[in-house]
Amino acid sequence: MRTLIRTKATLFLVLAALTLGVLPVAHAGDDEPKEKAAEEESSEPEEPQDKWFAVVDGDVYTGTGAVLRGATVLCKNGVIEDIGYDLWMPEETETLDARGYRVYPGLVAINSSGLFGAGSDLPNTFNPFGQNLVLALGSGITTALTGNEVGKLKYGTLEGVQVKTNVFRYLSFSKSSPAGKRSLREKLAKAAKYRRAYAQYEIDKKKNKDLKEPSKKNVDSNLVSLLDGKWRPVFRANERTDLLEIAHLAQQYGFRPIIQGCREGWTVADELGRAGASAIITPRDRRPKSEQLVREGGSSIENAAILYRAGVSVAIIPGNVGISLGGIVGRDLMHLTVEAAFAVRGGLSDEAALAGLTIEPARLMGIDHRVGSLEVGKDADMIITDGDILHYKTFVQWTVIDGEIVYDKEAHLYFAHIRPRPDSSLAPEQRLDAGENPPEEAAAAEGGDEEESEEASEPKEGGGGQG
Amino acid sequence: MKRLLLLSIVWALALVGPAAGQEPGASASPAAAGSEGGSGLALIARKALVASLDGPTVIDNAALLIQGGHIVGIGPARELEIPDGFQVEDLGDLWVAPGLIDLHDHVAGSLRDLNDMLFMTNPGLRAEPTITPGIHAMKQAVAGGVTSVLLIPGSGTNMGGQGILVRGGFDTFEENLIRNPGSLKLAQAGNPERRAPWLPRRSFMNWNTRVTFKRGIAYAKAWQAYEKGEGPKPQKNIQYEVFRDLLAGRTQVSTHTQIYQVVNKTIEMVAEELGLPVYIDHGTFDGFRAAERAQASGVNAILGPREVQAPLTYFPITDGRMLGVAAGYQERGHEMIGFNTDAPVIPQEELSLQAAMAVHYGFDDSQMQTVRGLTIIPAMTAGIDDRIGSLEVGKDADVLVLTGDPVDPRTSIERVYQQGRVVYDARKGKRRW
Repeated sequence: MRTLIRTKATLFLVLAALTLGVLPVAHAGDDEPKEKAAEEESSEPEEPQDKWFAVVDGDVYTGTGAVLRGATVLCKNGVIEDIGYDLWMPEETETLDARGYRVYPGLVAINSSGLFGAGSDLPNTFNPFGQNLVLALGSGITTALTGNEVGKLKYGTLEGVQVKTNVFRYLSFSKSSPAGKRSLREKLAKAAKYRRAYAQYEIDKKKNKDLKEPSKKNVDSNLVSLLDGKWRPVFRANERTDLLEIAHLAQQYGFRPIIQGCREGWTVADELGRAGASAIITPRDRRPKSEQLVREGGSSIENAAILYRAGVSVAIIPGNVGISLGGIVGRDLMHLTVEAAFAVRGGLSDEAALAGLTIEPARLMGIDHRVGSLEVGKDADMIITDGDILHYKTFVQWTVIDGEIVYDKEAHLYFAHIRPRPDSSLAPEQRLDAGENPPEEAAAAEGGDEEESEEASEPKEGGGGQG
Repeated sequence: MKRLLLLSIVWALALVGPAAGQEPGASASPAAAGSEGGSGLALIARKALVASLDGPTVIDNAALLIQGGHIVGIGPARELEIPDGFQVEDLGDLWVAPGLIDLHDHVAGSLRDLNDMLFMTNPGLRAEPTITPGIHAMKQAVAGGVTSVLLIPGSGTNMGGQGILVRGGFDTFEENLIRNPGSLKLAQAGNPERRAPWLPRRSFMNWNTRVTFKRGIAYAKAWQAYEKGEGPKPQKNIQYEVFRDLLAGRTQVSTHTQIYQVVNKTIEMVAEELGLPVYIDHGTFDGFRAAERAQASGVNAILGPREVQAPLTYFPITDGRMLGVAAGYQERGHEMIGFNTDAPVIPQEELSLQAAMAVHYGFDDSQMQTVRGLTIIPAMTAGIDDRIGSLEVGKDADVLVLTGDPVDPRTSIERVYQQGRVVYDARKGKRRW
């Protein structure tokens, strides 16, 4: 039925477009849910049912700085409609009671391997029932880069998986290739010269209509659009010298580099900050400084914190971007939050570490208008956890993508037996829960987060919270 | 708990031997810390994690007194009297905890020298000559709170040789030495097979290993008889010397053992049949199925670096679940569970993360089992709990000053004392971890 409506709607749109003499451009999966919504609105004869979903009474960590305790996130047709208290909801709204739990935006993995299926061709290789897909959902990941495409971890469906293609464009500027460096410098100079000439041409054209456009010969149009600020280049760079050179080049030509690796970034953080750089880093990167160096170098646990303080936005990714089933845990994509916890160890704030797993990677991939934080109008992608997402004991209880529950810890065998929810048939009668107040000794052992435990239990006692 | 108490008594008895006897290889720890002179130090901390096995676990607003390299007092700051002349430092919100101990390390020395696969059993080989004080990996380890490790040979053969217990904080061999031999490394299966494809497999390996054990025990018994004046003087054989330490309870068998049937075999052969002090030093995959027997036979379980058994076709026992290894031992009533890294498999400084992952995957931490499993339990397992492993009076002042729960990866370690001396200070120079 739905497909029928959609076909009719598409037909209507195409006809409308034809009369206007314009063909609708097919976006490669981009903004699909919204398009769908628009299509459905225009089919007047049979008004399709809106799909309402709400996560009720959870402590909502929006990822924008705001924390709303005991609040509700209301979603309509896969998009966040409202966040707050005492919200109006249609009767048919499907609700998830998150009282005593926390609600976070779904995590965004800025690199991944093997989550979606076999190959890099996302729409044609996606396995919506894959083991790795479920394990990643169980770790809180809702969106991930694979190859150079971004996909959503849509369990059980083939629709709406692809979010964006051709995500990153790479440039190389390294002392390991002097010829490459010279070539890029020359091309940038030519592109800059062309832009100046074109700007002058636009002025002069008003006086002289016969003036010819400046020649584009030997001008790299990619670099022209780079200097126009249309995209941000990614550099794979770790060493201080390369990082410094990239920072200088970026400042000279006025583009903002994204630096992958950035191991020694902490030694030149100010320069990178001035260049408006962003960094994709692995906080546990370990490389001792060479004994031959007389300056600071090598990896540092403080890298993320130092870069962040210098104004470099930081996205976090573990060294192993796959799902590891060999038994060694805490170092792969399934433990993305552990990697961020190590950034906190090095001095990054909890908020910035969470941003490094959500909104920052979304921005770098150019999908922050859809994912990365809980805001009205964005995709309803969220995770509901039994505690602080950066605490080692915490489990993701539910994962929601596009306003639908795609993962429930108790519905899959993998983690269901570990600290089951109190209302679960798996739960023993008396048990400790991450969301409850543990006994005194345990509280002490858990990193003195008695405060957090209290916060978590607040909504339970207070019923509807502050609402 | 009764069982635990009994066990600790047994251990305490076992320890009287080494403490009184002080084998020649042991360092005299007080001498090293004598440099502190008479001046004592009082650290006032928001929490002190005592980590004793049966005593208090946490003291809020605690005072820790250090003098001459040892802990001379610990208690609530309001109640504990600070002696005259002690320098008092208020650490504010910081905590103090005992230094962590890893009983499965390969990075305190030169890694490539640790796996000389000469014979199928090499009880005479020693890890000692490879020890490299000040090695980068151990500097990192100390910055991660790991102050003492058991450096052991690799598992390329059934008996790789003798391990050595060392500290990580000092620059000289003598200062770092805790005990040599630290252990006899046994590897029953799951690596020695790879030594050469044409060699026999587990059946022969078990037979051959048992033969070596029996010869070694006979050798040690001959010496015991001679020392009691009941027999002739045996000819010295350096291949079997370590068995004299084993039989006297001065060292233990540390065992690369994993997979149920192999762990079961370790308990049966080494503990029950031969009566040697032995512990599990991996215990992973489905090794937890032998947990009950291990507990009953007094075989401690030092687990890692794999902390989880994932559902894989060749381990059908998971029923599709991700099973926490430590949780598996705990659920079956094992009470002496510790953690290891097998560094460099897991970096040495991430020892505490092993415990964090155990908790994530179901290990009950309500009685601070993680902190104990990183400190007092490995210390007891290696028979060095008279010297390290908890913040108790009389022990070496191996103390971590840290921002919170030592198991949380977010916690940073600000300062490390070993034998009362500062061996790492993150606020002076570069923070290493």
